[in-house]
Amino acid sequence: MEGWGKAEAGNQPALSFHSSALYLEVLFSMAAVLRAFFGYFFLVMIVRIVGRRPGKQMTPFEFVLIFFIGGLALTAIVGDEVSFTNGICQIITMGLAHYSLAWARTKSRRFARLVDGTALILLENQSWRADTLRHMRIFDDDVIASARDSGIKTLQEIDRAVLERNGEISVSRLQQDA
Amino acid sequence: MATNQISRPVEDSIAKVNDEVAVGEDLDFQRKWWRFENAAWVVFTLIIILDLSGLFGRGPIASAERRSADGVFDVKYERIERTDSPSILTVQFAQSAIQNGKIQLYVSNSLIKQLGTQRVIPAPQDTVVGEGGLTYTFPASRSPASVDLALQPSGPGIYDFTIGVVGSPPVQAKVVVVP
Repeated sequence: MEGWGKAEAGNQPALSFHSSALYLEVLFSMAAVLRAFFGYFFLVMIVRIVGRRPGKQMTPFEFVLIFFIGGLALTAIVGDEVSFTNGICQIITMGLAHYSLAWARTKSRRFARLVDGTALILLENQSWRADTLRHMRIFDDDVIASARDSGIKTLQEIDRAVLERNGEISVSRLQQDA
Repeated sequence: MATNQISRPVEDSIAKVNDEVAVGEDLDFQRKWWRFENAAWVVFTLIIILDLSGLFGRGPIASAERRSADGVFDVKYERIERTDSPSILTVQFAQSAIQNGKIQLYVSNSLIKQLGTQRVIPAPQDTVVGEGGLTYTFPASRSPASVDLALQPSGPGIYDFTIGVVGSPPVQAKVVVVP
């Protein structure tokens, strides 16, 4: 039995053992706002990678995705710190993170392109951009649904269909010659 | 009242074709982005495979078992723990661990504090503080006998712990607690 505590205690006073680990633990416990900050940017990245469809082309399974990601993020970011103070601080942190992202978008076109992507043509000159449709996981049916929204009944009436940065598909009507 | 508002002419920074408002499509960038997305999906898949295998705790890689040098007891524990997540450390005793109808089990302070021992099952008859840890005494009849420690680490880090039966060489091990 004698000396078993040496591995932990060494020759230092009992209170200072594992000081680096203790420091990490304290830092972690203070880091609720850091978790919120990291969580915000992590979610932005995930939603950006998962695709643009969740923006406007929401089907039931995309609703599930958004609510599920939100719920899981909430659990991890809030943890067991359910105090009012923590809630207020984390909400303010989220607000600041959002503000800084929006500010950075206005300052750098490259950054804006990275966060938002660019508009993408899905249909032009009566031909589908098959590569774009495949990569963006969009079906021609999605484009036709948007066309119906714009009062267009046939594909031949479509001049151009564009997947906008916010996930909406905008369809312009072909100008008929007089 | 007239106000002097700063204004600038309306102009589109993206080149126009046929005098239409430009779409602003950038296929070169988009192709790079799609390549990045494909790489990200590979990384995500790898993360999930590593998670299922237990590299981030709760899986085959995370489960560990150590036996004392003289075979008096063995310890089953998670070598990778998760912050604020419960787990069980089980100590199984051989007959030679039972002395005078009792088992005396020593656990180091790191098991109590950093690794967050919440409960000892069964509750010990007696607890003695000292030698950088606690020594529990349990009444015992015959082996197989075991004691469980319910752990719940409060923060990430790498922690050493020592556990042993009085009179036998202890087991020392390391636990990584992930955030």
